[in-house]
Amino acid sequence: MSAPAPLPLYRCAHCGRLHHPFHDRCLDCKRRDFDIIHPQGNARLLTYTVIVSLPEGFDQPALILGLAEFENGARALGQIKAGSAKELRTGMAVASRWETIRFVNGQPIHGIKFEPLE
Amino acid sequence: MRDVAIIGAGMIPFGHREEDSLTDMLARASLHALDDAGLGESTVDGLYVANAGGGLFQRQFAIASSLADRLSLLPAAAETIENGPASGSSALKMGYLAIASGFHDTVLVSGGEKMRVGPIRRITDMVAAMTHPQAEYPYGVTMPGLGGMFARLYMEKYGVTDEHLLAVSLKNHEMGARNPFAHIRSVATRRDIFDGEMAEINNPILADPLRLYDLCPVSDGAAALVLSTVEIAKASGKPYVTIAGIGQATDTHTLAERDAPTELRAVTLAAQRAFEMARLTPADIHIAELHDAFTILEIAASECVGFFPRGRGGQAAAEGETALGGRIPINMSGGLKTRGHPMGATGVAQAVDIVWQLRHELPADRQVQNARAGLTLNFGGFANNVLCFIFKQGDA
Ligand SMILES: [Zn+2]
Repeated sequence: MSAPAPLPLYRCAHCGRLHHPFHDRCLDCKRRDFDIIHPQGNARLLTYTVIVSLPEGFDQPALILGLAEFENGARALGQIKAGSAKELRTGMAVASRWETIRFVNGQPIHGIKFEPLE
Repeated sequence: MRDVAIIGAGMIPFGHREEDSLTDMLARASLHALDDAGLGESTVDGLYVANAGGGLFQRQFAIASSLADRLSLLPAAAETIENGPASGSSALKMGYLAIASGFHDTVLVSGGEKMRVGPIRRITDMVAAMTHPQAEYPYGVTMPGLGGMFARLYMEKYGVTDEHLLAVSLKNHEMGARNPFAHIRSVATRRDIFDGEMAEINNPILADPLRLYDLCPVSDGAAALVLSTVEIAKASGKPYVTIAGIGQATDTHTLAERDAPTELRAVTLAAQRAFEMARLTPADIHIAELHDAFTILEIAASECVGFFPRGRGGQAAAEGETALGGRIPINMSGGLKTRGHPMGATGVAQAVDIVWQLRHELPADRQVQNARAGLTLNFGGFANNVLCFIFKQGDA
């Protein structure tokens, strides 16, 4: 099994709150020192959607997106590798991959892709 | 702080206004408001113009300076206010503060947006640019996409059903059809969009579980208000409305980072602060305009502002409690769903509709009988910057 996506998580050095994306001050204690860590293990799918009216810059007819929570409590938005929404349900286990999520000026942009494990 | 009155209100019909520039629309709505205030040939001290996307959509900025010139308001002070889809409410707040503080005595607040400027995919991308630039936007998420993810969570947690969303959509279509200022003026039927044989085709899923009839359209439009001191309002001898309460709150930029992504904390806080300032409670409100960019948001917001207990908003809509003649009529304009949602115009348009309601000027098929206090709720972004206003009849 491959490692989880190397998504940067910003852990407050004082109170331990996990952040993603970056904030200059901790959302809880307002202090400014963070350790960068990465998610561990799989994630749990909190919610998802299939959008069929896509923004410019995406060529496919539909895009499946979801929010998932990692084992350490961090949450993130990602694209979902599934054929249709029928393969998904909230609460299911998903693996996270770090893959191309779009191209900008021909250059690949990397980010999270969740993959159903059930 | 001085009390602040609304002495003029104006709007132009929302829709696809191909022939009008952004400034044309702002100017026309503003003239309606100035005429309504009896200031047709005089000026104001200050001008606050709400616009979110002129820089993106029209390659035009410093719009307030342009409008002051178009309207011959010179040498009035003029600023453009940008707060995403809540720009209109933010401009109204700035106008309020200018008068309440004693800095100005009369102010024009004008909000407008021209959004139908190209292929829908390009517009979708431009609107999505308000999402988080690293954690959301690159993934291709859209505002309806965030709405879809929110809807699935909220429906599962609180038992909101497709029937509840349908009730909101049917109501707002019915009211939009009665509103000459609405973009979408067609009544939808349950058979057309829910259980008839053509329903799947007429009402496709666009951001699962949300369908076409759950989402507001992309619209052009403008609306305007004239604000003054209460002394000036009284001297005019005409009916006026006062701004009794304003509340505003922010929340995390990303939906993912909220402690519970189903809690619209900024909505709850903004409403609480507005009620506190107005010294009123939700039971005192007779009419509300809530930010129904998606049907699920009307239901969730009706609970957050305190009209219904958590988890009751969907059932209340289905039982007609939010319809004309119901316990608390919501979006008698048709809401964002059918009046439309030209971002900079929306907050101002919501207030214009409430002013008309509180002056009892609307035709019987939209007028809430004996309405004396109204509320507006406007989101900038996905509930990460929310404004709530409470309005009262001038002599109430
Ligand atoms: Zn901290």
